[in-house]
Amino acid sequence: MNPYIMSIFLLGLGLGTTITFMSSHWLLAWMGLEINTLAIIPLMAQHHHPRSVEASTKYFLTQATAAAMILFASSTNAWITGQWDINELSHPMSSTIMMLGLALKIGLAPLHTWLPEVLQGLDLTTGLIMSTWQKLAPFSLLMQMNLNNSVMITMAIMSTMIGGWGGLNQTQLRKILAYSSIAHIGWMILVLQFSPSLTLITLMIYIFMTLSIFCLFKMNKTTSINSLAMSWSKSPTITALSPLILLSLGGLPPLTGFGPKWMILSELTKQDLNMIATITALSALLSLYFYLRLSYAMTLTLSPNTTPITNQWRFNTKQPTIHLSISTMLSLMLLPLLPGIMTIIN
Amino acid sequence: YIRHHQHLLHPVLSRSVTQSEYRRPGKPREDKPPWQKINFSFSKGLDGIRKHLTLLKKEFLERWVGPQGKPILEHMLEQNRVVWEFRGPESLEQWTVSSDFEIGGQSEAYLKLGRNNTTCFLYGTLRSTPPKDGETRYSGYCSMRSKQPLASFDRKQHHDWTSFNTLHLRVRGDGRPWMINIAAETYFSHQKDDIYSYFLYTRGGPYWQEVKIPFSKFFLAHRGRVQDDQHPLWLDKINTIGFTLGDKADGPFQLEIDYIGVIKDYAHTEEFAYELYKRNPEV
Repeated sequence: MNPYIMSIFLLGLGLGTTITFMSSHWLLAWMGLEINTLAIIPLMAQHHHPRSVEASTKYFLTQATAAAMILFASSTNAWITGQWDINELSHPMSSTIMMLGLALKIGLAPLHTWLPEVLQGLDLTTGLIMSTWQKLAPFSLLMQMNLNNSVMITMAIMSTMIGGWGGLNQTQLRKILAYSSIAHIGWMILVLQFSPSLTLITLMIYIFMTLSIFCLFKMNKTTSINSLAMSWSKSPTITALSPLILLSLGGLPPLTGFGPKWMILSELTKQDLNMIATITALSALLSLYFYLRLSYAMTLTLSPNTTPITNQWRFNTKQPTIHLSISTMLSLMLLPLLPGIMTIIN
Repeated sequence: YIRHHQHLLHPVLSRSVTQSEYRRPGKPREDKPPWQKINFSFSKGLDGIRKHLTLLKKEFLERWVGPQGKPILEHMLEQNRVVWEFRGPESLEQWTVSSDFEIGGQSEAYLKLGRNNTTCFLYGTLRSTPPKDGETRYSGYCSMRSKQPLASFDRKQHHDWTSFNTLHLRVRGDGRPWMINIAAETYFSHQKDDIYSYFLYTRGGPYWQEVKIPFSKFFLAHRGRVQDDQHPLWLDKINTIGFTLGDKADGPFQLEIDYIGVIKDYAHTEEFAYELYKRNPEV
């Protein structure tokens, strides 16, 4: 794509999220979300394949519906209570509709069905932007609202379970990452009303881990489990490290991904929600199963030729490796710093 | 001057309302209102519920074994898969045979099981006289198309052939040039006739012919017109496959198919056989 046009879209993405971050009026926040949607749509459709066009259409329709729900909820609240401030969303109907709208924006179950199809139709870079950057703005709004809802906890538990269960049936990597995103967002929303700072920590760590996974897949130029199994010939070092990244996504100690889950479970038990904590921890096992399956396919088995493309052999890659190296380090080694992070963010 | 008094329920009972405007030639005109066409059977209903609930339970539980019901090792090592095999009369239920008889032409096509119930036999007569409706100019085709696979409660399911890259058929034709049409899943309504096609040149004769066609050779056509903006066939959502004959040669035809499978040809590394007209290709 023409670099000027590409820079317009990327700067538009940055602008939209920044506007939502800095806004205290609902209309300005909504505008930031709309700028984000509109800026990413051409990036999604740039390949003009029918599947990409389908993905961008589905994304546009769902995000526009969510934006309409957000606008409706905020204007209803303004009509009833006269408040346009983001943290003054006090009427229960408005806050419920607002929550549903923001849930549709981020792909929380049961409003998650668009996410696997949309991610499947995108190339890896755009999928990365959609999984990580597009989640920031709605989360900033969610964290500023004071929500006190059992609907939210229900949606969160459903997300973790659906994210785990749905990912078990997939062989395409982008759909696996979509279901992993649904599960992680479930974990984030679970603790939103008790400790928003924990949500922020989980979101940041999730973004680093997803960044490293997408960069890994881009480095190997792979989109399915079968072609992922050939990464041993392209780059043995990253093949040896990537099970750790996947296990970090699954939430195993002593890797970074364990930290947020641990903190969330301890927060839930402090709030006396032991049953919910148990259910969520058990559904994290489902996600762990498909992460383990990916690491099994990639590293723990030396598969025969499973792709009909000519094998690459340890060529020096022309892509920038800085993203992969930094995000891998962050997603593997941050657990000892967890007390410091909790102190800073709390 | 005659006053035409219409019955009160005339808009409900008029023939154009109870039947749609187009009547397939050869079908008798049915004048029954919709409430008389219901055929209610309690045991069939129960059978249907049981079948769908079993399918639903199987869908839920097969994930424990692995993706799409197969263990991950089997999925990774799978090199060939037989998708359609004709071993009994229920295998013919998965196929739909059509010819230009539906638009008023005179070709005929029938499908039956071949010898020893091991093959399927598509035979008939092709006649390219156009139907006399004043607007059709060309005619003379017949085809056999697989039905879309259905999950529980008649939801659409797709074939996932991402691990494969070549179509492998064992056919015995009669020397005519057939066309293989693969229909993938589309989203917009104007894409519903988007079909990827390629040719199948049969050799005739008593010997079986093994045909291997890579999926990279399939080109995109819409209602028979080859498109300028080509792209490779995405194999993760295939709906149907079909065989069409329309070679303007009147007379009898036959095609016998033993099996239709997909294989992973390691020697075939081409991604797409036709020019993509990329303006800024990555080097």
